[in-house]
Amino acid sequence: MRLLRQMLAFLRKDLLEEMSYRTAFLMQLGGIFLTVSLWYLIARFLRPPAEALPGLPGVPYFAYLLVGVAFYHYLGSALSSFATKLRGEQLTGTLEAMLMTPTPIPVIILSSALWDFVMTSLRVVVYLGLGTFFGLQLRFDSLVAFFIILVLTILAFSGIGVLSAAFILYLKRGDPINFLISSASALFGGVFIPNQALPHGLGELGRFLPITYALSGIRKSLLAGTRLHALLPEISALLVFVALLLPLGIIGFSLAVRKAREEGTLAQY
Amino acid sequence: MPPPVEIHHLSKVYRRRRSLKRLLPGTQGNPLETWALRDVSLEVPKGSIFGLLGPNGAGKTTLLKILSCLVLPSGGRASVGGHDTVLGDTAIKRMLGYVSSDERSFYWRLTGRENLQFFGSLYQMHGKVLTDRIAFVVNRLELSEQVDKPFGEYSSGMKQRLSMARGLLHDPPILLLDEPTRSLDPISAKHLRRFIAEQLNGREGKTLLLATHNLQEAEQLCQKVAVLSGGRVLGIGSVEELPVWGRGKERYVLVLSGVSALPEEMRDGLTFTPLRSGLLRVAGEFGRDGERLSSLLAEVIRQRGRIVSCSKVEPTLQEIFDRIEEGTS
Repeated sequence: MRLLRQMLAFLRKDLLEEMSYRTAFLMQLGGIFLTVSLWYLIARFLRPPAEALPGLPGVPYFAYLLVGVAFYHYLGSALSSFATKLRGEQLTGTLEAMLMTPTPIPVIILSSALWDFVMTSLRVVVYLGLGTFFGLQLRFDSLVAFFIILVLTILAFSGIGVLSAAFILYLKRGDPINFLISSASALFGGVFIPNQALPHGLGELGRFLPITYALSGIRKSLLAGTRLHALLPEISALLVFVALLLPLGIIGFSLAVRKAREEGTLAQY
Repeated sequence: MPPPVEIHHLSKVYRRRRSLKRLLPGTQGNPLETWALRDVSLEVPKGSIFGLLGPNGAGKTTLLKILSCLVLPSGGRASVGGHDTVLGDTAIKRMLGYVSSDERSFYWRLTGRENLQFFGSLYQMHGKVLTDRIAFVVNRLELSEQVDKPFGEYSSGMKQRLSMARGLLHDPPILLLDEPTRSLDPISAKHLRRFIAEQLNGREGKTLLLATHNLQEAEQLCQKVAVLSGGRVLGIGSVEELPVWGRGKERYVLVLSGVSALPEEMRDGLTFTPLRSGLLRVAGEFGRDGERLSSLLAEVIRQRGRIVSCSKVEPTLQEIFDRIEEGTS
């Protein structure tokens, strides 16, 4: 209960801050509309054959692309929000003030990124909502599976994000994880094109990335209405990623905090 | 009952990582080791105002950050309320309030109240308890009328008072004050000092550890001070007790008229500067026993001269530190 109250306090604070930048909020909406239009036109122009999208019979490429891009934002949020928020709070001096309180550091870091996940979820809803105007057809008969996959996706991505924040805490700049993971995920994770379409078996690299299983599960549940039991391979793979990445992120972050306390650089930038 | 703050042989050395900057021609890398604190030992009695007096870079802020569990010591031990700062993180943070002069540590687009609500929630305060406590501290610090304005619109004095309000929000028994009047004008500084002495220490009995480079502030507020320089404690005691302050010389500047010359035995260590209209400026150090100054004034009267002005020059903080260092070395 105490943890929930603290998380809500972070959400409230970030909401109040966000509301003070009204123009930026409205411009984001305009940006999403233009992006959806762009993906629609690209999909119309490319028109890949139906068999190019395995496991998604009858699903048009536009739907494949839009869902891939929309949910890729969760990875972007996880990778950037922990580290960006941490750095932002360091720059504004509020991190030190928060660290003076008895709230544990992992709670501060995780709660700081909550708002970004809420905003990403809103953005995804807007993406999909606008997509329906361009002919996107969503299936709501496998929502339980969809939400299980979504939660596991956020947790797995958060493990990488917290690790990324650990690098920022220790190195201040030059997080080596962010660029590598986001580029590799975009290329080998099936965001824009199916892995099977990549040359020389490069698609096999996608097996080592959580986004491959996340997007596969989300597309199958949301676009093809695939039931929970048929999505167990994706769910199992995501569970393994969560079990590996989340503790790795938390251990890495704890080590970075310890090192920063030794060097006296916890609140430096 | 353990003392509020206890420090034994505390040392802190900052070790820097090698920077690529040193590879550039014409640049010298920063030293890889900086001693911020060396073998510091002190104890802050319950209900007292204890001063950490020292110039910039003396190690005052490092000491406060070790007590707040933000920095780990390299050697020795520091404890707050009996809890080791390396181990007792949460227990210590509940006991401590930290007030700094850093204006950046708030959310500028939020109001003072919204800022306090957020930080209060990090102290596990919520609902009516938090609302009432905010009203109480805001009222105490005379911020009631401004608390619903965005923090960015606050004056320096208001920002400092809000920082104090945040430090007091969870009603901690121990307050760490890091140069709380640094950015304030003299009147605001006076009000804040009165609040610290009368309200926080006097009525509420809080223990305060005040880091300052302001000698007057230390004199006005602190029952005891530790003088820090280069990370070392040069002396601990009341302001009057500190070595050299009690025994050292005082500097005076006199402007005399109608005085031609002073006897040789009186001239030693004094500087004489002729001014316009036949005035003579005499400056130098005189013993605290008043003997030398009395002889000089007697000589002026004997010569039928006049004392146009006589003023005592307060030593700078650096001079005092130098004298203490001379006395301790």
